[in-house]
Amino acid sequence: MKKWNKIGFMFIALALLAAGCSGEEESSADGKVELVAWAWNVNVGALEDAIAIYQEEHPDVALKVEDIGRLDVYDKLATGLAAGGVGLPDIVLVEDDRIAGYLEAFPNEFANLSELGFDKHKEVFPDFKNELTSHNETSYAMPFDAGPVGMFYRRSVFNAAGVDVNAIQTWDDFLEAGTIIKEKTGVYAMPLDMYKDDPIFRMMLSQLGVFYYDEAGNIDLTNPKVVQAMEMLKQFGEAELLKDVDGWNGIVSATINGTVATIPFGVAYSGTIMDQAKDSAGDWGVFLMPAFEEGGNRAANIGGSSFMLVESSKKKQAAYDFMEFFTTDPEVQIIALEDYGLFPSLSTVYDTEAFTSDVQFFGEQKIWTLFAEEIKDVKMPYYTKDYSLGLNEAMKAQASMFNGEDPATALQNAAESLADRTARDINQY
Amino acid sequence: MKKRNVKVRKFGLYFLLLVGALISLFPFYWSAIGATNESGSMFTKPPTLIPGNQLLENMSNLNEQIGIGRVMFNSLFISITYTIIALFVCSMASYAFAKFKFKGRDIIFTIFLLSMMVPYHATIIPLFKMMASWGWLNQYQAVILPNIAYPFAIFLMRQNMLAFPTALIEASRIDGASEWKIFYKVVLPSMKPALAATAIFLFMYQWNSFLWPLIALSSTDMYTFPVALSSLFGLSRIDYGQVMTGVTLATVPIIIFFLSLQRYFISGMLGSALKE
Repeated sequence: MKKWNKIGFMFIALALLAAGCSGEEESSADGKVELVAWAWNVNVGALEDAIAIYQEEHPDVALKVEDIGRLDVYDKLATGLAAGGVGLPDIVLVEDDRIAGYLEAFPNEFANLSELGFDKHKEVFPDFKNELTSHNETSYAMPFDAGPVGMFYRRSVFNAAGVDVNAIQTWDDFLEAGTIIKEKTGVYAMPLDMYKDDPIFRMMLSQLGVFYYDEAGNIDLTNPKVVQAMEMLKQFGEAELLKDVDGWNGIVSATINGTVATIPFGVAYSGTIMDQAKDSAGDWGVFLMPAFEEGGNRAANIGGSSFMLVESSKKKQAAYDFMEFFTTDPEVQIIALEDYGLFPSLSTVYDTEAFTSDVQFFGEQKIWTLFAEEIKDVKMPYYTKDYSLGLNEAMKAQASMFNGEDPATALQNAAESLADRTARDINQY
Repeated sequence: MKKRNVKVRKFGLYFLLLVGALISLFPFYWSAIGATNESGSMFTKPPTLIPGNQLLENMSNLNEQIGIGRVMFNSLFISITYTIIALFVCSMASYAFAKFKFKGRDIIFTIFLLSMMVPYHATIIPLFKMMASWGWLNQYQAVILPNIAYPFAIFLMRQNMLAFPTALIEASRIDGASEWKIFYKVVLPSMKPALAATAIFLFMYQWNSFLWPLIALSSTDMYTFPVALSSLFGLSRIDYGQVMTGVTLATVPIIIFFLSLQRYFISGMLGSALKE
């Protein structure tokens, strides 16, 4: 009897405790504003440093940054939006490839930044970033970091094979160089999760100025340029220059243990290398993606993110003022690069010392200058709200290509299946 | 001859068990090793398999990132409270379903079981709206209460309750015991093994629960372990040392919980003294 009573009491006590313990704190309304932002990982630190600077002139504004996993942000955001805009923050960080999807699905839930006056900043951001953050000529997101692509390479491997990086101008050159490297050192040219992810393909598309969809929203997988990219990838596969790895961790693993000579990725990958492969400092360098033909475009982009403001927020203006400061203030963007490895899209910082100096880890190369130059030439990819379906079909096409199917056929099949899933038209060439 | 045969067979059996044990223990060993080494070292060739000296460093980094104490408290508080309340509710419900005769009992029970088939994701948005309108978002009860009547736990307990001799309940009634008294003085004490099994199940469910806590809790200081660990994954900057330290810490309570209830679990399995 006693024992069960005890448990009963415990249960009641715990229930009371549960009711009493709550994390929600009502902020007092004496002119002070507390903004809430959702962001992930290193972006949290950048926001926190920025508010500290901002508060020197705006002591009434505070910022609470909730550190949420990158993909988790989307689950929370989608739930809040679908539930009619409850439980949302004032500011949310969204990757560029998701923006179009949110704007198409929830056109009235995000603050119209053109109306708030953000258009005057268009000149300081690269064109593709302005386009990515707009919908129907209206701006809905403030550009933050970008992902200009670099080929991160190991100097020692290239030296051992006697290959000169500067001689690699085209993908054909790189195919040749990769073969020599593989013969002499046994090291693969690039890592790729061959049957589950298509980052190299996507970077090639970005370079060629095409994507899964075109500007009109039609399926563009049958575009000769898209086929060309897939064919190039096939050549690398057949020459056994691609190390088949398992997901993101596999790429990191291949980077650290030196089984690949280059890793093509967005600029943020420099941070990954510096974090995970500390021992190899100085052995790294960066060159631009090889062109498809002599003198062709070598600029591409993968990844990058921007900040959106929630329309229903009661602190919209305060959130706008702070985020305008955050995204356009050079000091903040320099901190973002130096302390957090986030490469800003704000072009006014590119001629500052932080961007023009040598980077020791990358063999004294001026890698930030390289990326800053590259970013001007990046072309706009059309993600649409069906980006993830396109990604899925492209991955399947890549897998069947590596399994022996002809690239054009694989892409044609992918286009048809994507048309079934999205009710979009396929471009005819 | 026969003895030797037995020995050989025993050796074979133990060998298989040993291999099985090694395979299932390796991930734990691996994460513990990862917790004591630098971030990149788990990817080296050959892999690092010996403990390093980075444990304290990883611990303090992780603590700075997610606040280990707070997250551990949140997770323990939510899981333990949930287990106690849910065990209480589910055992009462299962007792009613097993031993009381009332109109529509079987239909209600069937509906209950069918509700297990509703995909969890379908209920998230209505549930979220409900929690928002009560002002419960980002509070413990938003995570604890929604699943306290857990269909599978009720089903599990009911199967055990069915085996309880009705005659004993009737005898207690004749002796003048109240229904309440019968439930927790006569029925529940003999249900310890079933309660232990259900408790383990409920605790594990809540401890590992990810999507709902992620959505219902919005501030970092309210996070449970899985949500906090997930926040360590950015796009390209992942400190694997921190991740492994967090994963190792998150498994400790569950191991302790299981081991402490395992005693009941096994003794109950072996020594069921009741016979119909």
